[in-house]
Amino acid sequence: MKKILVVTLAALGTTGALAQQTQAPPPGRLLASNCFQCHGTDGKGSGTFESLAGKSSSEIYNELREMKAENKRGEIMTIHAVGYTDAQLRAIADYFARQR
Amino acid sequence: MTQRREFLARLAAAAIAAGLPAHGLADSDRGGTTAGRTGSTPLALPNTGLAGRVVVVGGGMAGASVAKFLRLWGGANVKVTIVERQPRYISNILSNLVLTDTVTMASLQFEYATLKSAYGIEVVQGTALAADPAGGRLTVATATGPRNLDFDRLVVAPGIDFEYPAGLETPAARAAIVHAWQAGPETLTLRSQIRAMPVGGVFVMTVPATPFRCPPGPYERACVVADWLKRNRPGSKVIVLDANPAIAAERTSFERAFSVTHAGIIQYVPNAPVDFVDVGTRTIHTPMGAFRGDAVNVIPTNIGPALLRDLGIANAPRGFAAVNVLDYQSTATDRIHVIGDSSSTTQPKAGHIGNQEGKVCADAILRAFGGGLPDPSPVTNSSCYSPITLSTASWLSAVFAYDPLTKTMQIVPGASGEATRANSEHFKDMQVWFGTLMRDTFA
Repeated sequence: MKKILVVTLAALGTTGALAQQTQAPPPGRLLASNCFQCHGTDGKGSGTFESLAGKSSSEIYNELREMKAENKRGEIMTIHAVGYTDAQLRAIADYFARQR
Repeated sequence: MTQRREFLARLAAAAIAAGLPAHGLADSDRGGTTAGRTGSTPLALPNTGLAGRVVVVGGGMAGASVAKFLRLWGGANVKVTIVERQPRYISNILSNLVLTDTVTMASLQFEYATLKSAYGIEVVQGTALAADPAGGRLTVATATGPRNLDFDRLVVAPGIDFEYPAGLETPAARAAIVHAWQAGPETLTLRSQIRAMPVGGVFVMTVPATPFRCPPGPYERACVVADWLKRNRPGSKVIVLDANPAIAAERTSFERAFSVTHAGIIQYVPNAPVDFVDVGTRTIHTPMGAFRGDAVNVIPTNIGPALLRDLGIANAPRGFAAVNVLDYQSTATDRIHVIGDSSSTTQPKAGHIGNQEGKVCADAILRAFGGGLPDPSPVTNSSCYSPITLSTASWLSAVFAYDPLTKTMQIVPGASGEATRANSEHFKDMQVWFGTLMRDTFA
C-alpha cells in the first residue's frame, strides 16, 4: 500500500518550489521534535534517555500528565511536561506511538 | 553594481587571506567522531510531493539540524547544500571539560559524513561571499575558486563573532590571550596556559555582557577550572570578572558553586566590564579594579558575524539578525532565514535550542514549498547540563511557546527551572544528553 502511494506521488511529479503540498506535515511532528534531543530522532536509538518510539500513546500521555500534575521541583521532565497543553501532550504521545 | 563587485573582490581576498581550506587541530587524532548512525547507507527518503533547493550557510548545531530535517521531512526532492568553512564540527558544548582533561578534543569532533551519505546532503567546504536573494544565488569561495549555488531558500547559521576590547587589537595579542569561546585551537591554548600555572597561582577570566553564546558557559568554566586547580595547583584562585550586574544564568546553582563548592577559590566580581587588557603583564583593567593573572582568559563581547552585515540582515542590536520566529525569516529580506546564535530572539544562544530552531525553520520552509503557512504556534525548548566539578553537574531547562501578541517566543509559565543540586547523577545524564543531542544533529 505504502509502495503504491509512493509510486503514485512520484508519477504525479513536482515542479520546483511552487508544487502544491500533497501532504500536510504529520500532526504532532514538530512538537514531538522537541523531545528528539534527549530521546533520539523520532524517539529511536540506543544510548538515549527512555526510548519513546512505538510505545502506546496512552502510556506516554499518562506519564506526561502525571509529571505535569505532580509538578515536582528539580525534575527536568516536569519542566517539559508543564511546557505543553494537554492537547499538545496528546499530539506528542500519538506521534511517538506511530513511530516503528 | 560596482559597489557589489568591489564587495565580492574584497571578500574573496579576505577568504584567501584567511587561508582556505581552514586548518584543523594540531593535536587532533580525529578519533571518536560521527557518533550515531552506524555506517552510511543512504536512507530511502520518500517523495513527499515537495520540492525545492535550500542552501545552509554554517554547519554548526542549528545549520546541521535544519539540513538534516529538511531532508528527513522534505524527502528526496528537497535538495540541501551546507556551506561550511571547517572540515568538521567541534562542539562548544562540553569543551570547558577539555581544559581539565575530563574529555578529549577528539570526542568533541563530528564529521559531516553521515549527513552526506545517509541524508544525501551536499557539503561544500568554503566561505559564503554574497547572496542575491531575489535571484536565488549564493556565491561561495572554495579552495578551487568561486562557486555559485542556486537556492529557493537560504538559511544562515554562522554563529557568533567577537568585538575585542582595547589591548587585544593585534593577532599577536589575540594569540597570547585567547577567548576559547569557539572550541578548537584556542581551547588547547587555554588548556596549556592553565597547566603552566604555578601552585598558588591566579586564573582571571571575563564574562561578556549579555546576550552571549551559552549563558551558563563562563560560570561553568570558572567552576571546572577551580576544581582542576584545587586538585593540581593547590592554593590557586579563580577571579571571575563579569560585565553583568549578576550571574546571568542558573544563578542558584552558580551562587552555591561559587560560595560553597568552590569557596575560597572563586572570587566573583560583578559590574566589571573589560576596559583594557595589558597583554604584557596579563592584567585586566575594569571599573572594579585591575586584576593580574598567571593565566588570563578574556571572552569578548559577542556580536553578529560580518556575513550578516554583508547580506544586509544585521538589523538587531550588536549586529545580530532580527527574525520572524514562526519561520526564522529575516525581517529585512525575504527568502533568507537566520537560525541559531546569529538570530536575535528572546531565546538563549545555545546548541540545544539552536537544534530546535533548525527544526522549526525546516518545517516552515517545507510548508512554504507546499504553498502553506508556518505552524502558527511553534514550541521550542532549551536544555543544558553544566558541570560544577569534574564529577558533578547541574542543569537548566525552559520551554518556549509563540506569543501572538508580542510575536516572540516566551517561556511557558512554570516551564523553566534548574537543578536543585549538582550531583554525579546529573553528570552522567549530561553525557547521555550530549551524545543524543549530537546524534539528533549530525547522524
